[in-house]
Amino acid sequence: MEQVGERESEEFTLIARKPYFDLPTACPVCLPLFIYLKLAHFPFRLSFNSIFPDSDQIPYVESGTYVAYNNENGGVIERLKQDGIVDLDSEFHSVPDWVAMKAMISSWLADAMMYELWVGSDGKSACKIYYSDISWPIGKVLFLKQVYSVKQRLGITKDNAEQREHEIYKRAKIAYGALSTRLGDQNFLFDDRPSSLDATFLGHVLVTLHALPETSVLRSKLLEHNNIVRYADKLKMELIESSSSSSGPQIHSVPSSSTPKRGPSNWSSKPKSKPKREKTEEEKKFKRRAKYFLAAQLLAVLLFLSVMGGSDADDMELDDEDEGIVYG
Amino acid sequence: MSNPDSVPDLTPPNSKPDPEHQKPFSTNEIDEEDDDGDDENDVEDDEEDEDENDGVSGGPNRPKPHSRETRFRSEKLKMDSLLQRMKTGPVSVRIHDVIIKGNTKTKDHIIEAETEVLNNVGSMQELLKASQIVNLRLQALEIFDSVKITLDSGPPELPGTANVIIEVVETTRPLSGQIGAYTKAEARSSTVEGSLKYKNLFGYGDLWDGSLAYGYDHSAELSAGVFLPRFKGLVTPVTARAYLLSQDWLQFSSYKERSMGLSLGLFSNQHHEVTYNLAWRTLTDPSQMSSRSVRRQLGHNLLSSLKYTFKFDRRNSSMRPTRGYAFVSSTQLGGLVPDSRSLRFLRQEFDLRYAIPLGFYHAALNFGFSGGVVFPWGNGFSSKPPSLPERFFLGGNVSPVCALGGPTTLWGFKTRGLGPTEPKRRVNNENTDPSGVDFLGGDLAVTALADLSFDLPFRWFREKGIHAHVFACAGNVTKLTEFEYRNFSVQKLVESLRSSVGVGLVVPTSLFRMELNYCYILKKFDHDRAKSGAWLTFSAAT
Repeated sequence: MEQVGERESEEFTLIARKPYFDLPTACPVCLPLFIYLKLAHFPFRLSFNSIFPDSDQIPYVESGTYVAYNNENGGVIERLKQDGIVDLDSEFHSVPDWVAMKAMISSWLADAMMYELWVGSDGKSACKIYYSDISWPIGKVLFLKQVYSVKQRLGITKDNAEQREHEIYKRAKIAYGALSTRLGDQNFLFDDRPSSLDATFLGHVLVTLHALPETSVLRSKLLEHNNIVRYADKLKMELIESSSSSSGPQIHSVPSSSTPKRGPSNWSSKPKSKPKREKTEEEKKFKRRAKYFLAAQLLAVLLFLSVMGGSDADDMELDDEDEGIVYG
Repeated sequence: MSNPDSVPDLTPPNSKPDPEHQKPFSTNEIDEEDDDGDDENDVEDDEEDEDENDGVSGGPNRPKPHSRETRFRSEKLKMDSLLQRMKTGPVSVRIHDVIIKGNTKTKDHIIEAETEVLNNVGSMQELLKASQIVNLRLQALEIFDSVKITLDSGPPELPGTANVIIEVVETTRPLSGQIGAYTKAEARSSTVEGSLKYKNLFGYGDLWDGSLAYGYDHSAELSAGVFLPRFKGLVTPVTARAYLLSQDWLQFSSYKERSMGLSLGLFSNQHHEVTYNLAWRTLTDPSQMSSRSVRRQLGHNLLSSLKYTFKFDRRNSSMRPTRGYAFVSSTQLGGLVPDSRSLRFLRQEFDLRYAIPLGFYHAALNFGFSGGVVFPWGNGFSSKPPSLPERFFLGGNVSPVCALGGPTTLWGFKTRGLGPTEPKRRVNNENTDPSGVDFLGGDLAVTALADLSFDLPFRWFREKGIHAHVFACAGNVTKLTEFEYRNFSVQKLVESLRSSVGVGLVVPTSLFRMELNYCYILKKFDHDRAKSGAWLTFSAAT
């Protein structure tokens, strides 16, 4: 009867996770794709799916009956390149530095983001991004499932948790250093031209700066590199804030809750990271002392019982004798 | 009969009756052959009872063996005279006490709750009827191997009274299993179900069961439930069921549905039923071929809904209705939690049937009309579509004559075979395949059927119940939400009705009703999955 799809034009639509934290989409997997399409000045509409947080198909780009899913062909960006729709990387494929940086961003920085979002911070940011439009009991179960799955993927167990955390942060720090050196004072990472590398890195940086809490270790490491922060702010203003005023109406598939805004200009770094580390050492001391205290308490109680228990027995014998005297 | 030499002790009059003079009347053996002996069918006359009791209370009487025959003859005379009295008019009697024996595990109040009908008895005839009802009710609890109700005389100082003694034998094998075929209204297709039942675990008449069901429409369900006949003074039984359900609609609408939830049957009697359902439902598309509208629906949802069903079925049979009428209406309201993120919808469907007997060849004309509508409520409801599983889909391999409940099937159309469609995802730049569409279902559905069934002129067929029928049906599914209601008109709905006619053979078996039909499609649209030709449908007994 009705062919719903045929009435649509060939317009492309990007379906991503919901906007939050003053970002058009706060999910670290979806934002790079958004930025990539913006860098390429590719016209598209933005739509949201907030009821499927554990789907690896999202983000996807569709137009009529054509769909490019995130979990196929190496990602949406790769698929769009293969199909000849959008390609910013045509000259960079053979540059070894470019390939190496790409590998670094998609492994070390991606791992660091995944760790920080689900394990490192208290998970509040992740809940706001992924579960704010899902009923609470379902959201809670999915969150716990996701935390478990992230720990599996990053190989974190109870025994090696600290060591893995240290390793992840160390790698992130190295990556930031290398990218900061690569960027220098340029507008983009390579040849002063945008590429998918910029999109991926910028997505990571924006989520780290805006979505992660201020106590985040990863965020504090990033804030040490001023040129990256400047690069992010500048591109954010160009691509996101200027385009949001001119772009057409955005379609929301599920009504989203209100998005709080954070001030972009005041970045504070040092004081927040240190107290967290000191706290952990203090906490350990406190725990040790508490254990000693409890042990001492227990010992005192045992002593009391054994000593006083003996004296009670003496008293009882005396009573018997007394009774014996009375009745005898 | 007990030992005639036993001495009756100094017991109060209304406790265990004197074994010598216990002449019980068992209701569950009224129509059966008496093979237990001569004492089971004796009935004691109340007035004569006093005299006999007087005679006994003085001391033990030990009848000599040869007087047993005389006693038997006098009992028979008493029985005959009582029956004569009962034929002429009501023999007044009232219940003094209800004694329950044999229940070691089952709580007394469970059995007593089923005997309430005995309280209002005023005559012997009413007592017999009431005892029969109580017997059937207790057997219906499914926790007793046998139920025997004995009517005995009341205490001698209270004339015109009777005691009812209920002897139950609790089931010795509480665990049972069965395999059956059913048609669940919600599943819209026949299912084969294997279940294990554990009876009376806690003594409250509770029936626990675990079951595994597989449906023809690619659905699988694992569930466990409990049935409580009396829960804290509630009038009707309460059921609770936890289930894990998985349905595969990839072939039809490119999605898979998984539900995990709890279903509570709050009230259920002959005409009304209220159930509450709380579930976590997930729609996924592992094939990654779905159309745009289906893609938008994928994800997790919380379903919290209350469903009220009113059923009035006055037809003489649901498998082959030849006389009577039926009406079913069910209303489902979703979104009963304060959370606005849960699924909010209102779904209403009804079904009206009428069967007219024609008098020759056991023929009957069956008419049916059903319709249903669903729409979401809450913020922005006019622009949102209802969730896919709540929509109406027409088509399937269940016969419309048997599918009472709402618009579900049409002869000649496959499962989910008609209605709004949308092209699936295109891969590798191929041309759009005409069969590559998703059926999206609709917000409004109507169906109508007319069926003339008649016996075949061969005796063998008549004996087996096999008969023939000629039928015609029409139906339509349309979309109303997302502002489509602006384009809606009844005329358009009628103009785009799909219809089919046909003739077939109906083979009823004890498990299901099978139809072998030849259908001819009168009207269908391009993407509808319907074909003219031979069709086989299975409808399980509802």
